[in-house]
Amino acid sequence: MSIVDIPVEDAGALQAGRSEIRGEVFRGLLHTPAFIVGSVVLLFWIFCAIFGPAIAPHSPYSQNLLGINKAPSSAHWFGTDQLGRDMFSRVLVGSRDILIIAPLATLLGTVLGTAVGLFMGYFRGLVDDVLGRFVEAFLALPVVVTGIIALSTLGRSNLVLIVVIGLLFTPLIARTVRAAVLLERELDYVAAARLRGERAPYIMFVEILPNVFAPIMVEFTVRLAYAIFAILTLTFLSLGVQPPSPDWALDISSNYGVVPAGYWWEVVFDAIAIATLVVSITLISDSVQGALEQ
Amino acid sequence: MVRFILKRLGLALITLWLLTVIVFFLGQVLPSDPGRSVLGPLAAPSAVHALDHQLGVDKPLLTQYWHWLTNFPGTSYQYQAPIGPILTSALGRSLKLAIFAFVILVPLGIIGGVVSALNAGRPIDRTISVVGQSMLTVPEFVSGIVLLVVFAVELGWLPVTATAPQGSGFFTQLKYLILPVIPLVMVLFGYIARMARVGTIEALDSDYARTATLKGLPRGVMIRRHVLRNSLLPTITVIATQTGYLIGGLVVVETLFRYQGIGLLTYNAANQHDIPMLEACVLTIGVVYMLVTLVADIAFSLLNPRIRLRSAE
Amino acid sequence: MSRGDNELDRLRSGRTELENHYIDELVSGRLNRRDFLRRGSMIGMSAPLLGAILAACGSSSKSTSSSAAGSSTSSAPATKGGTLRIGAVAPAAAINPLTISDAGGLLMLNQTGEFLIFDSNLKLELQPMLALSWSPNTDGSVWTFKLRPGVKFHNGAAMTADDVVYTFQQLSDPKNASNALSAFTGVLSPSGVKAVDPMTVQFTLEAPNGNFPYLVSSDNYNAIIVPKGTNFGSWQSTFIGTGAFILSKYTQGVGASFTPNPNYWGTKPLLDSTTFNFYTSQAPMILALQGNSVDVIAQFTPSGAAAILNSPSYKIISLKSANHRELSMRNDIAPFTDARVRQAVAYTLDRVGAVAALLSGKGTVANDYPFGPRFPSTDTSVPQRTQNIAMAKQLLSAAGHPNGFSTTLKTEVYQEIPELAQVIVEDAAKAGIKITPTVESQTLYYGKATYGNSDWLDGTMSLVDYGDRGVPNVYLTAPLTSSGPWNAARFKNPTYDNLVKQYVAALDLTQQRTIAGKIQRLLLAETPIVYPYWIDGLTASTPGVGGLNPTSIAQLYLNTAYKSA
Repeated sequence: MSIVDIPVEDAGALQAGRSEIRGEVFRGLLHTPAFIVGSVVLLFWIFCAIFGPAIAPHSPYSQNLLGINKAPSSAHWFGTDQLGRDMFSRVLVGSRDILIIAPLATLLGTVLGTAVGLFMGYFRGLVDDVLGRFVEAFLALPVVVTGIIALSTLGRSNLVLIVVIGLLFTPLIARTVRAAVLLERELDYVAAARLRGERAPYIMFVEILPNVFAPIMVEFTVRLAYAIFAILTLTFLSLGVQPPSPDWALDISSNYGVVPAGYWWEVVFDAIAIATLVVSITLISDSVQGALEQ
Repeated sequence: MVRFILKRLGLALITLWLLTVIVFFLGQVLPSDPGRSVLGPLAAPSAVHALDHQLGVDKPLLTQYWHWLTNFPGTSYQYQAPIGPILTSALGRSLKLAIFAFVILVPLGIIGGVVSALNAGRPIDRTISVVGQSMLTVPEFVSGIVLLVVFAVELGWLPVTATAPQGSGFFTQLKYLILPVIPLVMVLFGYIARMARVGTIEALDSDYARTATLKGLPRGVMIRRHVLRNSLLPTITVIATQTGYLIGGLVVVETLFRYQGIGLLTYNAANQHDIPMLEACVLTIGVVYMLVTLVADIAFSLLNPRIRLRSAE
Repeated sequence: MSRGDNELDRLRSGRTELENHYIDELVSGRLNRRDFLRRGSMIGMSAPLLGAILAACGSSSKSTSSSAAGSSTSSAPATKGGTLRIGAVAPAAAINPLTISDAGGLLMLNQTGEFLIFDSNLKLELQPMLALSWSPNTDGSVWTFKLRPGVKFHNGAAMTADDVVYTFQQLSDPKNASNALSAFTGVLSPSGVKAVDPMTVQFTLEAPNGNFPYLVSSDNYNAIIVPKGTNFGSWQSTFIGTGAFILSKYTQGVGASFTPNPNYWGTKPLLDSTTFNFYTSQAPMILALQGNSVDVIAQFTPSGAAAILNSPSYKIISLKSANHRELSMRNDIAPFTDARVRQAVAYTLDRVGAVAALLSGKGTVANDYPFGPRFPSTDTSVPQRTQNIAMAKQLLSAAGHPNGFSTTLKTEVYQEIPELAQVIVEDAAKAGIKITPTVESQTLYYGKATYGNSDWLDGTMSLVDYGDRGVPNVYLTAPLTSSGPWNAARFKNPTYDNLVKQYVAALDLTQQRTIAGKIQRLLLAETPIVYPYWIDGLTASTPGVGGLNPTSIAQLYLNTAYKSA
């Protein structure tokens, strides 16, 4: 595998895979400002995704064809869109699709990536070389392009989105896990297990896996932000979430054409919402990484 | 050293071959009817069938694969014209944009990262970090449209499109590329600065650096001679991994700024089920990515002898 | 007897029965001036003749120009020279005159190619272009066209009847699968085209057709005249035709440029050259106009164009067009088997609101049949259906669905259609009809465009776009007749089929109108398809540009265009 595989950002986490430290680490996290802020924001959006329809002042779907493109006012805090729908209600409820698709996609990628990475790292040799070539070949395919192909073929659906993004993240995560496993397999406890006569699957999943859990966690949170981006871009290209969902990216994609007309509120509030979600996830992933590096 | 390069080259060729197989397969998986694409919705099924046979759609897969490889890049279904010229001009445009982006991004990112590292924990470090993170969260289509409306329409300082008129000089072309480059720089600056920061901190912490300081070497000299080289390493990593995005993933920017790069070409081909064009584009992006990764590999090991020796085993 | 009457009698002698009939209608007031001009020009009465008849009847008439595509739309002084930059939607496929079916592609055809007849939206009449005159036989089954002499192709060869014959034989030949077959199937076959002499072409139709001249006019956007023996597949490397401009360069997906034809038979263009920039979506095109990167936007849709529609700094040309959307319901799938259910859906729709919100008012409300303000044969006495939720609920109850029902809708990502789908869904919900929409890319939506292989044709509810045409014939036949190829509604009604046959054959406008009235009432009762609105054709330019000649089919003639500094 090429040397550019080991992202330097994960170098620190690789060292700290010990399970004993984990409990302390998580307690420490709870006192980190970054983690707290990030979690609060994330929980806020999760809350909105679940209870949003109940607390929103208007229905995100009800149109008012005679009151379109109205600027923010006391009646509509975020203004109305091209079909007269209340933007505030739409922004409030718009996190739902993203909060379902992104984590599921990342989870899929993480699970598959971990499996592939374990195999490559543990067996090395021919298995590593062959799988490695596949991984590299898939890495050469840009996520957005492959997503476009898959979605324009199989049609837009949340399931396809999850599977496509998950599969495309697999090689990236496999890379990291492989690097971690390469380090772990040289340690004593692995040799001991082999001496005991344990079989490969046991050693990989029961012995090694818990100890590489830390970098996997970090990868998960990092990839989550990328998953959100991928979904945003694909939705913008009309290949992601379906209308009339009040999804943020879908709203931006439908309304960005009227920004030149001065209807900035139809795009800006959704963009800010996206920004807060991504920042919150980044804060969480950063603080987790920082804690594991102690 | 030569053995190292040869080994890398060999591995790359195998991956390349594998890539062609994967891309060809992708093309077969897409449900498309080349006869129908060419003749349009009103054609009689018999005419479509005849054209399909002529195009060799019913031949065995292996024959089609070989035919595709030897006739690469082939003819576009959609445009009924040779793919070669269209592809090369699109690639050229994408490369211009990507290189321009890197030329701005790399120095900016490295400076940001080094400054952050040298002042680790202090306000300037936090600021750069926060700025980097926030810019990262703005999708290119949002920053793009805002930039266009503000700078191109309202203020009129810069052109509203990225495609300079035919025969424009180098600097004119550059002027047209300024606006589209900004969203790209915004998206990637945070990542590069962070990489550079981590690399610089590690280098500063290293035995060599500490020994040098103890021996009385001026900080500036030490930074220039040793630390900078190590901040470069992770940046090379980033350049390599982001190439796929910067060459093939810029559909949004290309649409907004009317710039026929390879991202837009691929997007249209996928939407129109223009299989030959799609396969040609995806393979090209893949090849560019692999070339860049290969060069990055070599550069990386040139800058860091330890890695070279270890991996040559 | 007034002098006018003597004059009229003089003009009447030597005219055909049909022409006299129209003069009768004009005199008695059953035909207004505008419709008389239109009808008269369609059956081949020349402009001076029409003008003379109108003068004799005591109404002043505007003189009509006889050179093709020449009319000015602004009063600013015309300046010579300059390069006009036009923003246009990128052609979707190869530029092959036979197969083009998209707006971007057909815009390219009319730059260098010309038609026998020009359907002028601005003057609302058919004007001679490559044909100087034309006339039908008694029952309209044979049409004879006299060609314009002295016309040369861009390669220097003279245009003769052989070239016209070749062009139409290729267009009407089922083997070529031309897009023009949508107009010619059942009307014209290759054996029916024949050269009588080097300057005369005769079309023998498969059945009498009162609207035939429209089918060989610029309305049939594939029908540009090319030299005999032209290979259509490679036409895009030369763009050969008889038009006022010659191709300079064409680059797929990027743009095209043209220069004036020094040997053009008509008025030479004022511009030095024209450059077309292609855009894949509308927003960057609008920004380009605002940012002074283009001078003209060839055609745009009101949705998302608020920036230029509401601004006084741009000239907007708005043409009444027959561009519309069709919401079909599968008449063979429950609950749409019951006409009352279909009517209920039609009654939920707020058409007025849709035109206001989705089209920014640049359109007209449509009734549930394909006749509208663009067509003089429309029977305007049929009442317009309006939104009536109570009525919708009543109809649903009567049909056995008091609590509504659930169904699905398939549609495409194109212009304002995704938004229209959302309006339809929201409105239908008010009567308890729960529609789940799927919005797909056009390629997926059209599929193979054959029954069983296309979401467009197979969807339980399907919302599709229909481009503008000069006469409603295609809208009446393709989507609604029992054997029509685009019958997404699976509407099979023998009475309807019969009425359409009569309409197509009718030569006489009053006759057409009577039959249209019957068709309209039948379709209102059956409502196989809901027609929300007709969309205006919009062209935008900066104030200094003038002389543009757009058509509602998204063509743009630049012969008289100019650009003042």
